[in-house]
Order: sequence, then C-alpha cells, then structure tokens
Amino acid sequence: MFRIRSKSKPGVKMLVKLTPKKAFNIPVEAEVIKPGNFAGKGKSEIESIIVWQGNKEVMLGSIFDVEVEGVDDKDKKKIKILIEGDASRIKRIGERMTSGEIIINGSVDMHCGALMSGGKIIINGDADAWAGREMRGGEIVVEGNASNYLGAGYWGAEKGMRGGIIRVKGSAGNYVGEHMRGGEIIIGGSVGLLPGLNMSGGKIVIEGDAVLPGGEMKSGMLVVKGKVLEMLPSFRFEGKEVLDSIELKKFTGDLARGGSGTLYINSIPEV
Amino acid sequence: MELLITNGIVYDPINQISGEKVDILVKDGKIVSGVKNPKTIDAGGRIVMPGGVDMHTHIAGGKMNVGRMLRPEDGRRCIESRKKLTRACTGYSVPNTFATGYRYAKMGYTTTFEPAMPPLLARHTHEEFRDIPIVDKGGIPLLDNHWLIMEYVKSGDMDKLTAFIAWMMNATKGYGIKIVNAGGGEAWGWGKNVRNLDDIVPNFDITPAEIIHGLAEANERLNLPHSIHIHCNNLGHPGNYDTTLATFDLVKDVTSHNRQVMHATHIQYHSYGGSTWADMHSKADAIASYVNSHDHVTVDPGQVMFGDTTTMTADGPMEYELHMMSKRKWTNKDVELETGSGIIPIFYSRKVSVNSIQWAIGLELALLIKSPWKTAITTDHPNGAPFTRYPEIISLLMSKKRREEVLKGVHSAINKRAIISSIDRELNWADIAIMTRASPAKILGLDKHGKGHLGIGADADIAIYDISPEEDDPRKIQSALSHAKYTIKGGEIVVKDGEIVAVPEGRTYWVNPEFDGEATKAMLEDLAVKFKEYYSVSLANYPVQDAYVPHPVEIKTRCKNAS
Repeated sequence: MFRIRSKSKPGVKMLVKLTPKKAFNIPVEAEVIKPGNFAGKGKSEIESIIVWQGNKEVMLGSIFDVEVEGVDDKDKKKIKILIEGDASRIKRIGERMTSGEIIINGSVDMHCGALMSGGKIIINGDADAWAGREMRGGEIVVEGNASNYLGAGYWGAEKGMRGGIIRVKGSAGNYVGEHMRGGEIIIGGSVGLLPGLNMSGGKIVIEGDAVLPGGEMKSGMLVVKGKVLEMLPSFRFEGKEVLDSIELKKFTGDLARGGSGTLYINSIPEV
Repeated sequence: MELLITNGIVYDPINQISGEKVDILVKDGKIVSGVKNPKTIDAGGRIVMPGGVDMHTHIAGGKMNVGRMLRPEDGRRCIESRKKLTRACTGYSVPNTFATGYRYAKMGYTTTFEPAMPPLLARHTHEEFRDIPIVDKGGIPLLDNHWLIMEYVKSGDMDKLTAFIAWMMNATKGYGIKIVNAGGGEAWGWGKNVRNLDDIVPNFDITPAEIIHGLAEANERLNLPHSIHIHCNNLGHPGNYDTTLATFDLVKDVTSHNRQVMHATHIQYHSYGGSTWADMHSKADAIASYVNSHDHVTVDPGQVMFGDTTTMTADGPMEYELHMMSKRKWTNKDVELETGSGIIPIFYSRKVSVNSIQWAIGLELALLIKSPWKTAITTDHPNGAPFTRYPEIISLLMSKKRREEVLKGVHSAINKRAIISSIDRELNWADIAIMTRASPAKILGLDKHGKGHLGIGADADIAIYDISPEEDDPRKIQSALSHAKYTIKGGEIVVKDGEIVAVPEGRTYWVNPEFDGEATKAMLEDLAVKFKEYYSVSLANYPVQDAYVPHPVEIKTRCKNAS
C-alpha cells in the first residue's frame, strides 16, 4: 500500500497514483496523463479515460492500477500524479500540461512534457527523444539521461523551446535545444552532435563535452564546460571570461548565418 | 437520381438569374427541364448558386508535395481524424489531398484548376488529382520555359510551335498554356533572372515578350478553350506595375474567338508602385483602370490574408529573394529542360507595412475592376492564403464595415500607400456569384462545358448556403459560405449541413487540340533529339497514360488555318 508522502508537503490536494500493471511493447499515446485532465475525477473516471495503444483504443484502467487520494476540482496546481514504475513505452506524458506535478519513478518514452507551459515533471529515470519539445514554461527534471532533441522543435517546426527550464542530471543525445528561442537547459553530463542547432534565444549549459556546438546559432547563450570534441570554424574568438568561477573562451556566431549568439567553451581539441 | 430544389433564391449570372425564386431540376447529373419522381430539397429562401469554380489553386503536383515535405509542422495543423466516409485530413496551407477535396466541397466548390503543372510531373499531378475527392479538376502545364518552345519562338516557326503545344496537351492531359515569369526559369538555372520584357534569356537569345506573344498566338491558333494563363515577370518587386501593364499591351493585337486573350493571375503581386520596399505602394488603380478599358485581359487578384502560409511558384528566383529577406527554410527544384520552382513559408503580418499594403491591393483590385466578369476570387492558394479563407475574403468585399474593422489593426502605412480606405463599393450576391462561379468558368472556357451555371444541360453542381440575400452581417456571410447547407456535385448530394455525406471521384478536364500537319512530323523529330540528348526519361515513357486519368473529360478543338 502506498503512502501519501506528499501529505506532509503542503499544497497537494489530490494525488493520483498510476502503477503499470505489466510490461508491454506497443507504445501508449498518453497525452491525457496530466494534472489538468484529472481534476475533479474519481478513480473510476480516471480508469475509464481512453488512450491509444498502437492502433487500438484502451482504457487507462487496463494499463494502470489507479489509486486516487483527495480531490481537487478547482485549483489544478495542487494535483500530483505519481507513476510508480516503468513508463518507457508511454509517450507524451504531461503534454501541454499547465500546472501541477508529475513524478515518474522510472523511465519515459518520447515527448514527455512536450508543449508544457507550467507545472513540474520529475523523471526518476531516463527520458526518450523530444522531452520538453516546444516547451513554453514550467520545469522538467531528468534524473537519468535524456535522448535526442531535448527541448527542440518537432520535425519542421521553426520554434523549439520558448520558456521554462529543463535539468538533466546525466547526459543527453544529439540536437539539444534545436531551434530554441527561450528558457534554459542544463545538462550535467555530455551531449552529442550540434547542441543549440539554430537556436535564437535562451540558454544551454553543458557541464560535460559536446560536438559542433552552436551550428546556425543566431542568438542566445551556449556554454560547454567540458571538451568541445569538434568545433565549427564559423565562430569568432572574443577573449577569455570567467563564468561560474571557470575561465572560458568566449566566441560569437554562427557567422555563417550572420548570427550573434554567444558560445563559451573550455577547450577545443588540438588539430 | 432525380432532385428538385425548390424555394431557393437562385443566382445564376450566366443565365441572367439574379436572386429569383426558380426551381432547379436535376436528373442523371445534369440540370434538366422535367423530372418525374424527384427527391425534393426545400431551400427555404436560402441562396442557391452553381458550384464554385476555383480557376487558380495549387492543389497537386510537384510543388505542393514538396511543400508538404518542407513543412511537416504545417501538417500538424487542422487535423481531422478518419470518419466512416472520409479519410484523415492534415495541414493548413499544404493540406493533404483528401482535406483539399473535402474542404472545397464544404465551401460549395465543385471545380478546381491546378494552374502550374510541370509537364514532366504531369503523371504525378494526375495521381494526386485521383486522390482529391469530389471536385472536378484540370491541370495547366507550364510551357514558357521549355527549351523547344523557346527555340521555336526564336526561329519564328509558328507551325512547329503550335504542333508542339498540341502534342503537349495530349502528353500531359493538360488544359492550357501556363506562363510563369517567362524565360526566368531558364535564367535561374544560371543564377540569373529576367526582370523586364525585353531582357535576354541566357543561351536562347530571346526575350520574355517574344515568348509571351508567341504562346498567345499559338493558343489562339489551337482554339484552346482558355487563353494563355500568365504569371507576369517581375513578381513582387516595387514598381513592377509597369511591367504588368506592358505585358497586357503585348497581346493587344492577338485576336480570339469571343474571350480574353490573356488571363493574368495573382495580379496583386504585380500591382506595386515605388522603387524600394520603403516606398512601395498600391498601383491597383492603374491596373484596374487598364482592365476596365480593355477587353482582351482578365485577371484574378491573388488576395493576401494575414497569417501563416506557404508560397510555392515556378518563379524560383523570386522564392530565393524571399529566403534572403526572411532567412526561413526554403527549397527549389529544377525540372530538366522545362521549368523549375521554389517553395518557402511566409507569415503575412498586419504589423508589417508591406504585408498590410499587399492585403489592401488584392481587395482594391476586386473592388476597382468594375465588371465582375473580368475577375475572380483567388488567393493563389496557398501563396496569399489557403483557399479556406475565401469566405472571409468575400465578407470583406461585401462589407465596408468589416474592412474598416480590419483597417484599425493594420500598419498605418496603409493610409498613405494604399487606397482601400477610400473605396466605398460593397459587392452584392450577384457579383459574388459571378466572381466565384460564372466568371472563372467563362475565363477557363468551361461555361460551354456545363460549368459555372445552372442552365438546361449544365452539370448539376449546385451549392445552397444557409443565408438569405437580405442578411448582411459579414460574420454570418462568412460562416454560411464556410459550411454549405448543401453541396451537390454531378447530381449527388455530397455535403449536407456542412458535413461530407458522399465522396464521389471527380473528373479531369483536358484539351485535345486537333493539329495534323507536316509540322507535327518535323516537330517530333526535333523532340526526339531533345529526349535523346537531355531528358532523363525516354520519349516513349513521357506521355501520361490513360490509366492515370480515370474520369477524363476530353475537350476537342480544331485548329485555325493549320498548314
């Protein structure tokens, strides 16, 4: 039996706990899992919410054991959703959420927190691609690693993340913050190719290494505190500057796109 | 199936019916004079019109498809899931084929013409036509930049030129002659452009003026139902109205059988005064006054509406210029020795002076051209806006009050550099029926083939809108035109209360000009060389097979003085 730890935390009025019944391979499109959607609903109502699994519609109750404590039908800020277990085949958790909190004690599939504008998501595991894509506000914390296109724009979109904050304790994949326009991404580990690709606003801080940071960057700020494994030639060296008590090299670019973004790096490979 | 539509207020301008209560009888897909046992539709005082005809809308073929690939983010808009009868719909400015058919039908439109079919991509265009449900279609092949055309124009060999165009109509199952920035496509292949009518096209030593005149003459020799359909040179440049007027004047001497000899399309983009973007202003009055005083030219405005859309044109250099201004993603295409294209997203903003003036010019043209028979309502879909904005445009043309509401929120440059605020004219329902049905059908030459009117023998393409002629609230007008009470296509009810209730396949109109002469033989020899030396396909694999046009309507024409 689970205990409402959050009861001790003031402000939570309603707690919805979802425990996956068993592992499955066919992904679930779960954009319905967000606090605003559960407001004022009881156990049976939440169980009967329809989601797509592959090409079939199923009820939330057939995927999860649902437990509900408390009720909140007015102030959606005080709803907390707890997913207790592996959600690595559950996509779009918290998509378009505006308030409240989601905690996942496991990993999540793609698009977690996509288009969210408020509230908080804590992923005590890894996040697959597109976490926080086109996000406008709120906060996402990934305790494990994040995959590609973290805080990016979806295929073709010219606007990625516009606000809010994403913190990843581990590393992240390629194209972190592609088309980013605002907000902040902080990566504890290293990233892959082209972080900040085409960014025009916002801030990305990478504690570890990166490859080709800032390609087509127009404005905004990108900091790589570890090694830059490969550097684009289209940045202009401006001098050294101390940032967070580390001395970093400051560049402006991407000049190939007439950009005036700021790129701080620690070291580049010897050629 | 037989139908009787009663109690409707009918607007059928070609048959001089303007807001009268007339019964309409339908049998076997046609308008008839008598029926035996019809299903009765009581229109209850609502407006009844022929099905809408869109004469210039980029709905199929290479460009539209590349537009869809370039803009997957547009495909995330306007999503409708599959229903019992209808397939899934996606996209706003680059909708999928199904959405295109359904959305036209819901607005009461039943005929749509794709005005820029690259000949080499004709097969693809016809494949997409098959997937656009309900509406009838036609494709107008792009011919002005074809190497063989330019060579024949240069050598002055009118017989071979005519023979080649006749062959092309057959090969592409095409409907007429489209000209886009004459000679500019070829120049763009060398990183250049032609700006003026007497600039030289690289390597061909001819001018846009010669190409346009040659094609206009050939068009009339072949007696094609439609005139040349032209996107003038110099599109979208301040001061380009001079080029536009000169283009009109070019074909003054060409005679036709009782219709215009030039249809100049999306003329809004060609009506700019000034010399830079800072002093660019409306010359709609100059263009309109020319059209008012000459009968050889018809135009459609290519109205711009505020918001996001995608521009796509065979005018590749223009799209490159747009990219250099906006820095947004773009692409362009080269179609071997025929044509090319460019595609780029655009956002028309009411806060931007140029966009506000563009918005004004389209409306000014529609209002300043006195005779609605010389124009039509278009947005050059999706260049100015998606076709789904037509109802809004019509409400603006019908209501000065609504125009004034919009004027309050646009860039103030519109007061000095456009004339819209000084125009009081409000179009009436008869004008609208002409500009959305009768006139485009007539300009295309389809009125003689059962389109754009409700006379005996016409196709039973009918729209009934949930509004009576007395109602003048622009928002009511917009909503009634957006969701037809009934759309009837070929005698079958396809839309009821704004919802799709049947999805027949539309037909494809194409022109088969008879042209037998020695010139054809000689032309085919020249053509064989082009295929052998330059084309990536063989001549035998080039023409569109009949199987790609499952519901053809072949319009035969006889050539004048073939030699």
